[in-house]
Amino acid sequence: MVNLILVSHSEKLATGLKELLAEMAPDTPILLAAGLEDGSIGTDASRIEASFDQLNDDGLVLTDIGSATMNAELALELYSGDRTIQFVESPLVEGAFLAAVLSGQSKSLTEVVDGLKKEFA
Amino acid sequence: MKLTTEQFRESLVKAAAQIEAHKDELTDLDREIGDGDHGINMSRGFQAVQKELETHGAYEDLGDLSKQVGMTLIKTVGGASGPLYGTAFVKFAGAFKGKKEVEGQELAQAFIEATEGIKMRGKSEFGQKTMVDIWTPFHEALSQEADLKAAIEQALRDTKERVATKGRASYFGEATVGVQDPGALSSALLLQEIVEVLHG
Repeated sequence: MVNLILVSHSEKLATGLKELLAEMAPDTPILLAAGLEDGSIGTDASRIEASFDQLNDDGLVLTDIGSATMNAELALELYSGDRTIQFVESPLVEGAFLAAVLSGQSKSLTEVVDGLKKEFA
Repeated sequence: MKLTTEQFRESLVKAAAQIEAHKDELTDLDREIGDGDHGINMSRGFQAVQKELETHGAYEDLGDLSKQVGMTLIKTVGGASGPLYGTAFVKFAGAFKGKKEVEGQELAQAFIEATEGIKMRGKSEFGQKTMVDIWTPFHEALSQEADLKAAIEQALRDTKERVATKGRASYFGEATVGVQDPGALSSALLLQEIVEVLHG
């Protein structure tokens, strides 16, 4: 199943979103890379990259604003593991909902990415 | 004008001191037209760079130095500046690979590549009131062998009067006219120290 990696400035925001997604798609694995190490607001490429090590299948990265996207793209460039990971630009909440549902329907990463692009392009 | 590995190292140590001296100003500017963390983020990142530069033995070449600095910035700065400055130094690392010193158009080319890296990472262009508005005139002056210090000062004045159309500051629209962009100021502080060692 495609894993979702939620990249947000706020750990609370990402945790809340994860709760919402669990109602819609309880089986979809959701990883969080949110906030800074000390719990404060921000995004960090090395934390995002570290979250990639927890993937148990292909991964889809979703971000909130500005530097979350920059750090996510940088983390993808730095990643040297074996998983296929993609980033799609979409509104975080809406994008994560759609992706979680599609993943829960056992769609492939390509199908999930296409679904998001079609909806949010 | 030639940039050696030791000169580059020296300029970055001095830039760290400049950023520390301007920490509050950078934060205050960012509080006006952003999220108020630029001074804190840049200070944290460049203090880490300074520590790295002072404790690391000799660097093999400019590329090695640039790569270490880039990775340190990516890991420590946070915010938008971490990936932007980090990418600039990773691009320097590519351009400077295996070189102990560079000069002339080769030096200018490295700054063009760093600027392109910042633009790519931030999906930004010149004229949007960001650090790109400093880096672009700087590499142009370097290519044309013009007065670098004057180019930075002019770029700062021009940037201050623009409307922000990229990044968080863009949410403030017209209110950004007359307020200096914090990323432009921190870039100017860094590039001015590089100019100092080039003229040294």
